[in-house]
Amino acid sequence: MHAVRWKKVFRDLASHRFRTVLVVLSIATGIFAVGVVMGGRAILLREFDSEFAASVPLNADFYTMPFSDPIVRRAREYPGVAEAMGRHSASLRYRWAGADAPRTLSLVAIKDYDDVTVQRIVPETVRSWPPKRGEIVLERAALQVGKYEIGDTLEVETRTGEKKILTVSGFAHDINAVPAQFVGSETGYVSFESLPDIGEAKSYNELLVAMTGTSLTQREASLLAENIKRDVLEENGITVLGVYVPKPGSHFLGDIFKAVSLLLLALGLLSLLLSGFLVVNTVSALMAQQIKQVGIMKAIGGRASQVTWMYLGMVAIYGVLAVLVGVPASAWAGQQFIEFAAGVLNFRVSSYVPPDWVTTLEVGVGLVVPLLAAIVPIRLGTRTSVVKALTQTGVDSAAFGHGLVDRVLGLLRGLPRPVALSLRNTFLRKGRLLLTLTTLSLASAVVMSVFSVQASINQTTDDLEDWWRYEAQVRYERQTDQAGTERIIKGTPGVTEVESWVGTTVTLDRPDGTTAEGLNLIGTPYDTTFIHPTMLAGRWLQVGDEDAVVVNTDARKSEPSLDLGQRVTVEVAGEKRVLRVVGVVKGQFGGSALYMNREALTVLLPESGITQTLIKMSFTDTASQRRALDEIETRLDDANYRVVSTRTTAQFREQIASELGILVAFLVIMAVLLAAVGVIGLTGTMTINVIESTREIGVMRAIGAQHGSIYQIFITEGLAVGFMAWLIGAAAAYPMSYGLVSLLSGAIGLPLSYHFSLTGVGSWLGIIAAISVLASVAPAFRASQVSVRDAIAYE
Amino acid sequence: MSQIATPGSSDGALLRLRSVFKVYDTGETPFTALKGIDLDVHTGEFVGIIGKSGSGKTTLINMITGIDHPTSGEIVIDGTPVHDLGENDLARWRGRTIGVVFQFFQLLPTLTVRENILLPMDFCHMWAPRERVDRAMDLLEQVELADQANKLPAALSGGQQQRAAIARALANDPPILAADEPTGNLDSKTADAVFGLFERLVEHHKTIIMVTHDNDMANRVRRALHVSDGEIIEERVHRPRAGA
Ligand SMILES: Nc1ncnc2c1ncn2[C@@H]1O[C@H](COP(=O)(O)OP(=O)(O)O)[C@@H](O)[C@H]1O
Ligand SMILES: [Mg+2]
Repeated sequence: MHAVRWKKVFRDLASHRFRTVLVVLSIATGIFAVGVVMGGRAILLREFDSEFAASVPLNADFYTMPFSDPIVRRAREYPGVAEAMGRHSASLRYRWAGADAPRTLSLVAIKDYDDVTVQRIVPETVRSWPPKRGEIVLERAALQVGKYEIGDTLEVETRTGEKKILTVSGFAHDINAVPAQFVGSETGYVSFESLPDIGEAKSYNELLVAMTGTSLTQREASLLAENIKRDVLEENGITVLGVYVPKPGSHFLGDIFKAVSLLLLALGLLSLLLSGFLVVNTVSALMAQQIKQVGIMKAIGGRASQVTWMYLGMVAIYGVLAVLVGVPASAWAGQQFIEFAAGVLNFRVSSYVPPDWVTTLEVGVGLVVPLLAAIVPIRLGTRTSVVKALTQTGVDSAAFGHGLVDRVLGLLRGLPRPVALSLRNTFLRKGRLLLTLTTLSLASAVVMSVFSVQASINQTTDDLEDWWRYEAQVRYERQTDQAGTERIIKGTPGVTEVESWVGTTVTLDRPDGTTAEGLNLIGTPYDTTFIHPTMLAGRWLQVGDEDAVVVNTDARKSEPSLDLGQRVTVEVAGEKRVLRVVGVVKGQFGGSALYMNREALTVLLPESGITQTLIKMSFTDTASQRRALDEIETRLDDANYRVVSTRTTAQFREQIASELGILVAFLVIMAVLLAAVGVIGLTGTMTINVIESTREIGVMRAIGAQHGSIYQIFITEGLAVGFMAWLIGAAAAYPMSYGLVSLLSGAIGLPLSYHFSLTGVGSWLGIIAAISVLASVAPAFRASQVSVRDAIAYE
Repeated sequence: MSQIATPGSSDGALLRLRSVFKVYDTGETPFTALKGIDLDVHTGEFVGIIGKSGSGKTTLINMITGIDHPTSGEIVIDGTPVHDLGENDLARWRGRTIGVVFQFFQLLPTLTVRENILLPMDFCHMWAPRERVDRAMDLLEQVELADQANKLPAALSGGQQQRAAIARALANDPPILAADEPTGNLDSKTADAVFGLFERLVEHHKTIIMVTHDNDMANRVRRALHVSDGEIIEERVHRPRAGA
């Protein structure tokens, strides 16, 4: 390696520091993007999966009337059951100094925190664990919603309307608890001893069961759950209020995870492609610059293969340097990314070390991709005949210079001389231009698509707004007197109109013989003005409908038998009823729902009374709406109506936006990365153009060109490329964003409303113009420093 | 005694060209730059090629060095049919047989003067690596540049750069040196020194073919070929001046 030709390679690297940095950065950007994205994805899935598996997720969750330890023991011994445990759960309203309105607490009480066998809970920062009497440990996702601190007090309202104090004594993590920011209620853990203090019985009312078998199907899990319900609970006189059987092995955020991981995969592949382009581009430019030296070396006895190896060696060195920069950088950024993801998706990370294959991939991207990308340009350079190499000034310019471009440019006579010259330069380096343009266009397309995805998400929430024609809603613990509650609510200042609905949970008989528990059946007036359903198929409810139901897309997705025209059997309040699906409406992020005429549903229920009240208000600002709703809750409380939750429509919209916001955040990360790749690519191209035009610049300086006009030339060139990339990118963004939105819709299981963001297209034009100018300034500065002497020395 | 080279009497010629044609493909009408060149050069000759700009001098010398291929005709140098060689064999052959000197010196800018001279030896695997440095220094002494060995080309004057380029052309001890206007970019005093260097090399049995448009130089070579419009139209032979 101490042969002279290798000395030349090292000297070239050292003496063209700017170029070396540029090429190394281009490759490192590829490594970085691939490393962050693929590594991030791998760590995300690995950490999430391992924590999820270690948590012993439940396969069936039974909500029941009180029971005690012998039942748990029986459940544990039941064939097919791996673990079973009982706990007490309750949903209570509470006030906290950090929030101006009452919030909902999903309370969990466990007898022995050292023996949690299903859905494990991990204490994180706790003053005492397990929680002592009078204390509560919050699930840490609460911190995403408010600034809870150890020592804060929560004023809990008991079932009998009394106010009791619980003191926050720490934070724990439960990967299976639905994070507070998604449901609008915080999960908290208390000891069994605290239960009587807050008006709850010291008994179990929830049975959690984990089943044996690693590849359990949903059907098997449902069947076993039904048997346990019958043999363990009902046989022993325990009434079961509801059963929840999740898809075995899947987390409730699984869909979001799938979407995020798909996005990351797409981004990873895209960055791989882009970094390949960047390398081809810079290496082609390098060869163009070195072509004369290649000719000289061949003239003094160098064989094409020897010269090829020299340049491959050079690229390999670039690769090694890029790996040294890119791998640690991506490890660092990957950790930031995972920390962010672990926060919003609420999981714990035990190791930030990416799997070996990711590191291998990064090294491959750093070494193999550049070499593969470089082979063609290097071979083209070293195969050029000696005469051509010695007489050539630029790439292909001779063949291209007198062609179409000059003729077209000749027509544009009005252009100022420097502008015409730079346009000509732009088109002359067509090969490089094509690659830079491809890179930048792709980046532009992705960025504009991201704008459109964001716009689509906004559109979706706007469409929700269109569905909801009310400002707030109140839900009651049980069926409640319609006239009484409506009178109180109507009497509250700001309320203009109210409507009462009744809801119940029903069990659906599936065609395969299993049942689906806990579907929401909602009775609404057929002529309601409080919602404006988005019909996807069939029709809405009509007067006189008795057995007709309209289902939403969530219900149809989880229970495919609920499709238009189908007759389905459901068990309502212990009686089997056959219902007819007459319409499908778009889901509202509120889960599965079946709608039927309120009067028809009331007939099927043993008790009379309503379960929720929808409220229209004259207030348009959310603060006043919230205050009015609090006043309503206080008045209902005073009249002894038991409220389980209240929410303003605006508040719910926020919640949904925050859930979808995760996707947007990931998309933004994606866009920023790609834009960075684009900037580096453009800077590289501009620099190489300057180097190649050294002679022209010298001549221009010799005939009196000022710094200003040289800046103008290169910045115009940069802008021309940026503008073309914007144009192509905008055209590509339409199909791309449409695809992306359908992909996301599929992944999260909800139809997003597509909206192409013209604002995004406009903003990107501004941004890319700024980027183009920035990318051209450094090269233009170099150009302005070229002296006439340098230019001539370049021959 | 006169040494007029006549076609046919080429036995023992180091370099032999027969009906060499070169046609450039320039878009619509092909351009014939060499129109059937016949030429013999013997070992130890110092041949000058003169002619107006555009007459085909560079094209001709590029045929000889194998830097470019003839469209038709034969070129045999030291027994090797150059016109038949592929790029790779040509490069190796050229490295050992012909030293090329360019008008613009063409030293590699990031290598020192000495390293520039080592490069052809490296490419052609000539000499044992440890001998190479000694040899490079010898060559630099011959061209009186030993004290500049570790400088980069940019730090040298034009004349010094051209002398370094000549030393590089001699690196593999080729029998033939081909130079295309080697003094074209030098002032007359430096040009003189470079010319003197060539004369000394001829004394040491090198064969030199040099393109020049300097008539004064042309008068000082032993044999001058006048090229016009792609043909050798005149040939002058001088007796050695110092009455050798
Ligand atoms: N690559 C080429 N393509 C087309 N024509 C060429 C090429 N190289 C040289 N020529 C033409 O061939 C003729 C001879 O050129 P050249 O050998 O360079 O002349 P000289 O060296 O005597 O000035 C000139 O008319 C020139 O324009
Ligand atoms: Mg010439």
